Amino acid sequence: MKKVLVLLASLTLVLSACSNSGNNGNNGSSPTASISSGGSSAAANASPNAAASGDKLRVVLLIPGNLGDKSFLDSANRGIELVKSELGAETKVIEMGTDLTKYQPIYEDIANQDWDLIISGNSTASEVFHAVASEHPDKKFIDFDTDFAEVPENVYAMNYKVNDASFLAGAVAALATTSGLPGTNPDKKIGFLGGLDVPGINAFLVGYIEGAKYIDPEIKVVTSYAGDFTNPAKGKELSLVQYNAGADVIFGAAGGTGLGIFDAAKEQKKYAVGVDSDQAKLFLDTDAEKANLIITSSMKNIDQSILRAVKNFQDGTLKFGQRETLGFAEGGTGIAENEIYGKLMNADMQAKINDIKSKLQSGEIKVDDANSMETAEVEKIRNSVKP
Amino acid sequence: MHDFLAVILTTDFAFSVLRVTTPILFAALGALISNRAGIVNIGLEGIMLTSALLGVLVSAYTGSAWLGLLGAALGGLLIAGLLAFFTLQFKTHLILGGIAINAFASGGTIFVLYMLTGDKGTSSSLASKVLPSVEIPLIEDIPVVGPILSGHHVLTYLSIVAAVAVFVLLKKTPLGLQIRAVGENLHAAESVGVKVKRIQYTALLLSGLFASLGGAYMSMGYLSLFTRNMTAGRGWIALAAESMGRSTTIGTTITSFLFGFAEALSNALQLLKIPAELISTVPYVATILGLVFYSVSMTRKANKLLKKQKGPQA
Repeated sequence: MKKVLVLLASLTLVLSACSNSGNNGNNGSSPTASISSGGSSAAANASPNAAASGDKLRVVLLIPGNLGDKSFLDSANRGIELVKSELGAETKVIEMGTDLTKYQPIYEDIANQDWDLIISGNSTASEVFHAVASEHPDKKFIDFDTDFAEVPENVYAMNYKVNDASFLAGAVAALATTSGLPGTNPDKKIGFLGGLDVPGINAFLVGYIEGAKYIDPEIKVVTSYAGDFTNPAKGKELSLVQYNAGADVIFGAAGGTGLGIFDAAKEQKKYAVGVDSDQAKLFLDTDAEKANLIITSSMKNIDQSILRAVKNFQDGTLKFGQRETLGFAEGGTGIAENEIYGKLMNADMQAKINDIKSKLQSGEIKVDDANSMETAEVEKIRNSVKP
Repeated sequence: MHDFLAVILTTDFAFSVLRVTTPILFAALGALISNRAGIVNIGLEGIMLTSALLGVLVSAYTGSAWLGLLGAALGGLLIAGLLAFFTLQFKTHLILGGIAINAFASGGTIFVLYMLTGDKGTSSSLASKVLPSVEIPLIEDIPVVGPILSGHHVLTYLSIVAAVAVFVLLKKTPLGLQIRAVGENLHAAESVGVKVKRIQYTALLLSGLFASLGGAYMSMGYLSLFTRNMTAGRGWIALAAESMGRSTTIGTTITSFLFGFAEALSNALQLLKIPAELISTVPYVATILGLVFYSVSMTRKANKLLKKQKGPQA
C-alpha cells in the first residue's frame, strides 16, 4: 500500500513539474512524419519549380507560446501543416511555452540542427530570434509577425496591415448597428474590447474607428481594455457593460479574453466581430446560436503568408534581409465572408464593403497605423468617438 | 460626476456586482472554512480550475448540466481529499501541497482537454451545458429591486445560501465548534478528545466543495465554455478576501462583495473618459482603503479598551 502511495505522490510531482515547465518538448504536431507517397504530386501541383530540389525541404516552426489560442498561433500551425501537405516538406512544430527565458536556448539548439528554414515570430520573441539568426549566417529564418522594421541579412520578416482589416471590421460594425437587424437599436454606437492599451492592440482600434467613421462620421465607439488576454469572464463583463450602454456590435482584439464577447452577445442577442481567424467556425457545430451572431471576423492569415513565404523560398524569390507588410493583395489580411456574413449583411451592405476593399487595395483609402503613433494621438482618436 | 453616477446607479450595475462576486464568494468561503480549522488551502485556484473543466466535460458527455455540476463537485472533493491526504497523512507541507495542486491543475486541465478534444485552448468544440438562471416569483415584479435580485444564475443564489450555511455551521453546530477549536489550538482540542485529523479532513473537503462550486459557476453559467486558466486568479483574490475579512463569515462575505463591487466598478467606469490604466487600479485601491479603514477602527477600539482598563486605577 505504502509503495503505491509513494508512487502516486511522485507521479503527481512529475506531472505538475511538466505542466510548469511549459511544453518545450516536441509535443506539437507529429514531428517527422514521412510524406513519401501522396506528397510529391501535391508538391508538383503547388509549385512547379520545387522539383529543382531533390531532397525534401526541412522546415521547423517554433511557437512563441502554446497552441490552442484559436487565433494567432493556431494559424501559424495551420500554415506549417499547409507547407507539409502542399509542398511535401518535412516539418516539425515546437511549442516554446510562455517562459521567455527559454526561447534563446531553444532557438540556439534549433539553429545548430540541420533545417532549411526556421520559422518563428511575434514581437515578444523577435529580439532573441533575430540575435540567434545573426549568429548563424549560414541558416535561413522567417519571422512571421514582428514589429521590428530592421532584420538581419538571413531573416525574412512579415507584418500585417491589421489596420486595413480592422477598417473593414469597423465598416461592417457601423453598417450593422443601424441596419435594423433583429436586436439592434437605432443608436449609432458600436464597441471595442482590447486586451491591453498597447500599440499592437490599438492598431486594431484605430483601423476600426476610422472604418466606422468612413461609413458614418457621427458614429460613437465605446472602448474597454481588459488588461488581460486569458480572462474571458472579464471579457464578458466588459462586453455586457458595452451592450447595456447601447452598443449593438463589439469587435475584440483580446486573445482568450475576447471569447467572452460571444457569450455576452448570445445573452443579450447582440452582435460581435471576431479577430485573427474566422471565429464563427469555433461554435458553428456546438453552439449555432452563438456562431450566428458573429457577423464576420477580421483575419490575419498567418497560415497563408507562411505558405506563401515558403513557396517563394523554393522559387528563390524570398527577399531576405527585409520586412514585408502584407495586406489584401498578398492574402495576408481580410475579413471572413462566410454564410453568416451573407445572411446578416444584405446585398447593399456587402457592395459597400467590397467597394471599400478595392479602395483600400488601390490606396484610395489610407488607414492610420497606431504602431507609428504617439500615445496621445491614439487617445485623441479614442476620446473623439466616445459617447 | 453626473456620468459617474449614471454608470453606477443602474440596475445593470448592481446586478453585475452579484454576478462578479459569486466565484470569489464561493472560494472565499472555502478558504474560510479550512482556515478556521488551521489549514491554509492555497490550492483553491487549482480546485476551481479543475472543477470548471470537469463541469464542462461531464455535462458535454452526459448531456445534463446537473450531472456536470455533480462531476465538478466530486472533482473538487477528490482534489481537496488528495491535498488533505498528503498534508494530514504524510505531513507534506501545506503550501507545497497547494502549489502542487495549482501547478497540476493548470497543466493537467490542458492535458485532459487536449486528450479529449485535440484542442489546447478552449472547449468550444464540446457542446457543454450551462446551469439555468432563476427568476424569483414575487420579487421579480418589484421595481428596481426585482431586476437586481431576480434572474441570477442558480449558483449565485447558492453562494448566498452557502454563506449563511457556513455562518450557522461555524457558530451553531458542534462540528463548527470543533473546527474552530482545532484552528485555535490543535493540542488543546486533542486533549479534550476532539478527533483533530477527522475535523481537518472535513474542513478541507468542505473547502474543496465550495471552491468547486465557484469553478463550476465559471464554466457553466458565467461563461459557457472552459478556456485555459480561465479562473484568472479568482482563487487568490478569495484568499485575500478571507484574510481581509479576518476569518469571520460575515467579514469574508462583505469583503468578497467589496472585491466584486470594485471589479464591477472598474468594468463600468471604462465607459467614461478615464484612462484605462487608472481604472484597472480600482480593485487594488479599494483593497488598500478597506484595510486602512479596518485598521483605523481596530486601533480606536483597542485604544478605548486600553483607556477603560486604565480608567479605574487612575
